[in-house]
Amino acid sequence: MRETLMLWWQLMRLRARARLQNRLSLVLAWISQGFGYAGAFASIWVILNRFGGLGGWRWPELAFLLGFQIFGYALGAMFTFTQFRFMEEQVRDGEFDMLLVRPVNPWSFLVFSGIDLQYGSHFALGLVLMIMAGLQLDLDWDLLMILRLLLSLMSAAMLTGAMFTALGACAFVLGRSRFLFGLYFDFWELSRYPAIIFGLPLQLILLTILPFSYMGFVPVSVLLGKPVPILGDAAPMLAILAGPITALIAAWIWRACLRRYQGFGV
Amino acid sequence: MSLFALSPLAARLTGSDLLATLRTFSAFTRAAARQQAEQRSELLAIAFGTMVDVFARISIWRSVYHGRQHVAGVTEAEMITYALIGATLLSHWDGALIVREIGKAILSGQIGATLMRPVSFPGALFAEQLGPRLLQFGFVCLPVITILSAVYGIAPPASLGHGLLFLVYIVVSTTLLFLIAIFFGLLSFWVLEAHSLEWFMRGLTALLSGGLVPLWFFPPVLGTVAHALPFAWITYHPMACYLGQNDLLESATLLVGGCGWVAALAIVNHLLWRSASRHVTAHGG
Repeated sequence: MRETLMLWWQLMRLRARARLQNRLSLVLAWISQGFGYAGAFASIWVILNRFGGLGGWRWPELAFLLGFQIFGYALGAMFTFTQFRFMEEQVRDGEFDMLLVRPVNPWSFLVFSGIDLQYGSHFALGLVLMIMAGLQLDLDWDLLMILRLLLSLMSAAMLTGAMFTALGACAFVLGRSRFLFGLYFDFWELSRYPAIIFGLPLQLILLTILPFSYMGFVPVSVLLGKPVPILGDAAPMLAILAGPITALIAAWIWRACLRRYQGFGV
Repeated sequence: MSLFALSPLAARLTGSDLLATLRTFSAFTRAAARQQAEQRSELLAIAFGTMVDVFARISIWRSVYHGRQHVAGVTEAEMITYALIGATLLSHWDGALIVREIGKAILSGQIGATLMRPVSFPGALFAEQLGPRLLQFGFVCLPVITILSAVYGIAPPASLGHGLLFLVYIVVSTTLLFLIAIFFGLLSFWVLEAHSLEWFMRGLTALLSGGLVPLWFFPPVLGTVAHALPFAWITYHPMACYLGQNDLLESATLLVGGCGWVAALAIVNHLLWRSASRHVTAHGG
């Protein structure tokens, strides 16, 4: 176990050192991505500035939701997004086949050897939004609340990683999976808004089959003491458990798809 | 050497040159459209994703308008139309992906090979992007508009004149988005960070094009600045014309303004491309 942990650590270190060779490029990536998200968030601010609220949420509450959503996403995506988005190419070019003959778990190898440092601005933007909104909302930050926030963020990160894993695994069976990531982001953008503005069928979908609501709306509602439709009193527990549950399902999907994998390489 | 019509040098072309250029352009467009048509599952995913995107926008406007007749002189029904048409015909195309394509071509050295082709790289890229775009108009945008308008309703153009002008606005919008993307893409010859340029473009377009929120809801200062920038012709000005926010004369004047931006950006891109081509030769690709 200790050796495995050391291997993961070394893989991450190697990747980070390689990326840090070009620091200017990394800083530029942080600034530009932060700028990109700021543009999208500014559009949402314009709506709330003009209309006063969205689905009963005022700007500080929605800013907290946006901060939470982008922070949780970045935490999961830095370990999974780049790796699994390119799974289609890895399968097609036979690179994944090479991975299968190595004496390591292929999922772990992909995750830890591909850690992506480009999410600096996601974390910064998320933290700034959460802190500024938290100050305006005058929340009672006791130990339990902080623990709940950290566990919810971990859950959102696991959820993100689990979904990318499941999407990447589709390449084992279909030979293609990249186009599914586009669809993922169409749904992911829904998690920027209070789910209450969507109709009941979509709210149900976002709480069950495609659990994007646990990436922002559910945990933030719990933290802000706002009611969560459909889930009710189960919301606080599910806000923390959604990530681990989805991770288990994703692990099952990964194994099932890997069992069916026969190679597409040339 | 034939150049695509977007180049200012197109004016110097003779009639037969222009015909040959258009034929080449059309061949690129058809080939790219055919390639996209073969990937049916991808097309289906795009259609489904667009449906989700438009549905989210409609949900936002229905939620904020709840109980209000109109805000800034715009009704809920008009905002639903804005979301339906704006998110499909106008801002559905992720132009920032062109920046990525150019960046990849530069990093891989493939850009060197394009210099040997009898067509300009930006022109070929436009043709290749236009093919899937036209295909998606028919197989993604129109079905999504049809399905969602059956559920939520859609306002017709303010008048026949506004409707006809809107069709020209779609052409200007598509061309401008392409030219803006090419502009950012060509900058990667010097910055070498197409990924960052892509995100800068995405941030500017998200806010200033009026893709999600029309400029009439913007705070006055930001709104005034955004009105004059070329991004506004991607979604905001075309939709303002469609909904009759401006009279016909004003809409036509703004359309001329959009054409002015097209011409200005075409010249800037031409100069950038000429300079970039020298850059490639200097380093051997």
